[in-house]
Amino acid sequence: PEETVTSSFAAFVHAVRPEHLSKTVCHRSKRMILDSIGVGLVGSTTHVFDIALQYCRELYSSVAVSSVYGKPGVKLSPTLAAFTNGVATHSMDFDDTWHPATHPSGAVLPALLAASQMLPPSTKPNGVDFLLAFNVGLEVQGRLMHFSTEAHNIPKRFHPPSVVGTMGSAAATAKLLSLSAAQCAHALGIAASLAGAPMANAATQAKPLHIGNATRLGFEAALLAARGMEANPSILDDIPGCSGFSAFYSVYQPKPLSTPSDHHEFLLEKQDIAFKRFPAHLGMHWVVDAALSVRNLFINYAGSFSPSLIRTIVLKIPVSKYINRPFPSSEHQARHSFQFNACTALLDGEVGLSSFTESSIHRQELRELLDKVVVEHPEDNVANFDKMYGEVALLLHSGDVLTGKCDTFYGHWRKPLSKESLLKKFRSNASHVLPEEKIETIITMVDNLENLSDSSQL
Amino acid sequence: TITGNFASVIHGLNANHLTDQVIQRSKRMILDTLGVGLLGTSTEVCHKVTQYSKIYSSDISSTIWGHLDFRLPPLYAAFVNGVAVHSMDFDDTWHPATHPSGAVLPAVIALSEAFPQKKKISGLDLLLAFNVGIEVQGRLLRFSSEARNIPTRFHPPTVVGTMGSAAACAKLLALDQLKCKNALAIAASYAGAPLANAATQTKPLHVGNAAKHGLEAACLASQGLQGNKQILDMESGIGAFYTDYNPQALPTLQSYPWLLDQQDVAIKRFPAHLGTHWVADAASSVRRKLVESSDNLLPLDKIEKVILKVPEVKYVSRHSPTSEHEARHSFQFVACSALLDGSMSVQSFASENIHRPALRELLCKTQLEHPPDNTPSFESLYCEVSVILRDGNTISDRCDTFYGHWRKPLKKEDLEKKFQSNASSVLPAEATEGIIETVYNLEKVEDCSVL
Repeated sequence: PEETVTSSFAAFVHAVRPEHLSKTVCHRSKRMILDSIGVGLVGSTTHVFDIALQYCRELYSSVAVSSVYGKPGVKLSPTLAAFTNGVATHSMDFDDTWHPATHPSGAVLPALLAASQMLPPSTKPNGVDFLLAFNVGLEVQGRLMHFSTEAHNIPKRFHPPSVVGTMGSAAATAKLLSLSAAQCAHALGIAASLAGAPMANAATQAKPLHIGNATRLGFEAALLAARGMEANPSILDDIPGCSGFSAFYSVYQPKPLSTPSDHHEFLLEKQDIAFKRFPAHLGMHWVVDAALSVRNLFINYAGSFSPSLIRTIVLKIPVSKYINRPFPSSEHQARHSFQFNACTALLDGEVGLSSFTESSIHRQELRELLDKVVVEHPEDNVANFDKMYGEVALLLHSGDVLTGKCDTFYGHWRKPLSKESLLKKFRSNASHVLPEEKIETIITMVDNLENLSDSSQL
Repeated sequence: TITGNFASVIHGLNANHLTDQVIQRSKRMILDTLGVGLLGTSTEVCHKVTQYSKIYSSDISSTIWGHLDFRLPPLYAAFVNGVAVHSMDFDDTWHPATHPSGAVLPAVIALSEAFPQKKKISGLDLLLAFNVGIEVQGRLLRFSSEARNIPTRFHPPTVVGTMGSAAACAKLLALDQLKCKNALAIAASYAGAPLANAATQTKPLHVGNAAKHGLEAACLASQGLQGNKQILDMESGIGAFYTDYNPQALPTLQSYPWLLDQQDVAIKRFPAHLGTHWVADAASSVRRKLVESSDNLLPLDKIEKVILKVPEVKYVSRHSPTSEHEARHSFQFVACSALLDGSMSVQSFASENIHRPALRELLCKTQLEHPPDNTPSFESLYCEVSVILRDGNTISDRCDTFYGHWRKPLKKEDLEKKFQSNASSVLPAEATEGIIETVYNLEKVEDCSVL
C-alpha cells in the first residue's frame, strides 16, 4: 500500500485500540458525551426538530430500531435516527465547540448511538468500544482541521461541522463496525462526497441540519463502505488538478497520522473543548461575561440597572459577519447576534433558554437597549476562538464610562466548567423531557462508560 | 434578491412558457436518460446501493426503473435511479459542464409516483418541472466563469444538480414562493462533492445524491423548514463553491427565454467521459485510413507510436486504467480501443476488453500532448489522433465536433437506437416501445405514472 495521507488515516482508524486512550481523553470525552445528550434532549422540544422528525416518520418505517432523543417509543431506521438526533443536538446552538472551530460531538455521537442499537445482540459494542469510536471521530475531525490555516479562524465559507463532521462520523462509525483498513479508507472517500455546506445557512432554521446530515451521511458512508462501495483511495491527499477533500479549503497541507503503536497522542489531550452555558453561538459567551461584569459595576454605581442613564453601549468584538446582527428577528438570528446577547445580559443579569423565546426577543426594553449599541472592531481582536475577547463599555449620559472585558469566558477550554456546572446544565436540559430517575441513570452510565457491557443501553 | 427572484420564477413558470424546441429537446433528454438508467440498473454500483437502500421501506413508495419486484421510499428510489443513470457515465452533458438530467429526472419521477390517487400529475406537469430543474442548473452555472471549463474542484452535478432537483421538486409540489426559496436554501447545504471521486465507483452517487437531496430539501421546505433566503446572493451561500461568483437575476416570465432553447445538450454514444468522444471519432477515422476493410485487424506491429493531442484534464488522463471506472475516464484507453475495434460501445468497457493484451500493447505506445490552443472546455476542445508507423509514415485525423455533440446532435433514429439497446437489457420489447411512445407524447399524457 502506498504511503498516502489517506491510507495513514484509514490505518489509524482501523488499528487504534482502547489502550491508546489516556485518562484525560477518557475524562474529557465523557463530559462531552453527557453534555451532548443533554443538549439533544432539550433540543427535542424545538420546532426544527419536529419538522425533521415528522419528515422521517412519514417517509420511513421499517427496520426502526434506533431511538430518538426525548421520544420514548419512537424508533426510526438508524441513519434517520442519527439525522434527527443530530438536528436536535444543534437545534439551539447549545452544543460543544472545539479549536480549531467545529462542533465535534453532535456530528459523532448520534451516529454511534444509532449504530449500536442497530447491531445484533451478539456483536453489541461495550462501553469501551463506544468511547474509543467516539474519540476516533473526534480525533479525525481535529486532524483534518489542522490541514488548513483557514480552519483556525471563525469560518466564512463552509460550515466546519458539515466538512469535518461528516468525515468524523464516517470514521467513528467505521470504527464501531470494525471495518477493515481498506473499508475505512473508502468510508472516508465516500463521506467526502457527502460533505460541505455553505455558511449562509447559519443563523437560520436550516443550520441544525448541518450537524444532522454530518452524522447521518458519515454513517451512511460507513455503511456503504461496509457493503463494498469504493471511492478514491487518495481522497485526503493533495492531488493538483483534481480536488479531493482539499476542495473545501483554499490552503491545504495534509499530514499523515502516525499509526498507533504503543502510544498515540489524541488531540483532545492537548486541546479541550468549550461547553456553552447558554444556547447561542460561542462568540456570544465572551460578550455576555463582559456584559455581566459591567452590569455589576453599573449596579454598584447607580444602585440598580437603569437603562435611561445609558447613552451608548460600545461592543468591541472581532469581525465576523454572520454573528453581527443589530436587530435579530428570529431565535436563530438572536443566537447569532453579539448585540442581542450583550443587551440581554445587561437587562436580565443572565442569558438562558428563555432569553430566546419570541416574546423575549421582541420586548420593548430590549429593543431600546439595542438602539443604543455601537460596534467596534479593534485590530487586535481576531476572529479566532482561542484569541478573541469581548469588551462592553457603557457610556453614560453623565459622561462616566464603565467597562467590562472578558478574555476567557467560563466554559471555555482555558476555564472549563466544573463538574457541578456541567451536571447542572445536563439536569436542566434533560428535565424538559425526562423524569428524574432516568436523568440520574444516564449520568451514572456515562460516568462509568468504560465498564458498560452493552452501549446500546445508553 | 436573486434568491427571491429565482423563487418567483420557479413558482411562476407554467406550461404555456414552454417553447416547441424546449419541449422537443427535453423529451429527447428524458428518453435518453431513461434508457441509460435502465441499463445502469444492472451495474455493480447500482446493486450495492439498492441493497443499502432496501434497509428502508415504507407505505409511500416509488419504483426502481426496470424493476417491478420491489419499491422504495421516494427518496431512495430517486437515489438508486440517479445512481443508475450515472453508473456508466452514459448520461447527457451540457455546457457549461454538468450532467443535467440525471439529477432531476429520477427525483421528479419518484415524486410523481408518490402522490395520492386523487392528485395525479400529468405529463405536462412533469415536463414543466423537469425543465425548471434544468433551467435552474444552467442559470447557476453562468454565475461563475470557472464553470465554463471542465471542473477541477467540485463535481458540478453535486453543486448545481442538487439545486436543480430541489427546484424541480418544488415545482412539482406546487410550493409557494417562500417555500421555493427555502427549498433552494436547504438544498445548498447538501450541495458539493469534490472531484477526486470521479473515475471511482463513488462517482455515480454524486448524481444519485443530487437527485435525492434536492428532493429531500423540497420536502423539508414543504413541511415548513426555513433556510437563508439569500442563499444564491451570498458568497457564503452557493458562492462558497466558486472562487469567482456573480449571481444575476433571471429574466422576466414574459416569453421566458429558456437556456435549453439556446444551448442543447450532448448525448453520449458510448459510456465514457464526454472528452473521450472527440478522441473516439478521431481514432475511428484514423483506423479507417489505416485498414481497408473493417474486418481486418489493426497492424499492431507496424505502429511505432500513437500521439493524442487533447486538452489538459487530469482526471481523464490515465495511462493504464485497471477498472471500468478508470477506463471511462481515460483518453488513452478510448483512443486505443477505437483504433482496435473501429468504434466504441458498451462492450468496450467489459473487463475482458479492458485487459486484453492487444490493447495493453497499444496503450504502451500511446502518449498525450497538450497544445496550448486546446482549451479544456466542452464548447471548444478538439482532439487529434496521430499514428506514427515504423516506416516513417504518419496517419492522423482531427475531430472538432463529435457526433452527438450539441453542434451535431444525434438524429432521432440514432437516439431511439441507443434507447432500445439500453432498455432492452432489462425490459421486454413492448415495454420499450411503450416508453418511447409515452415520452414523445408527454404533453398529452394525463397521468404520468404510466411512465
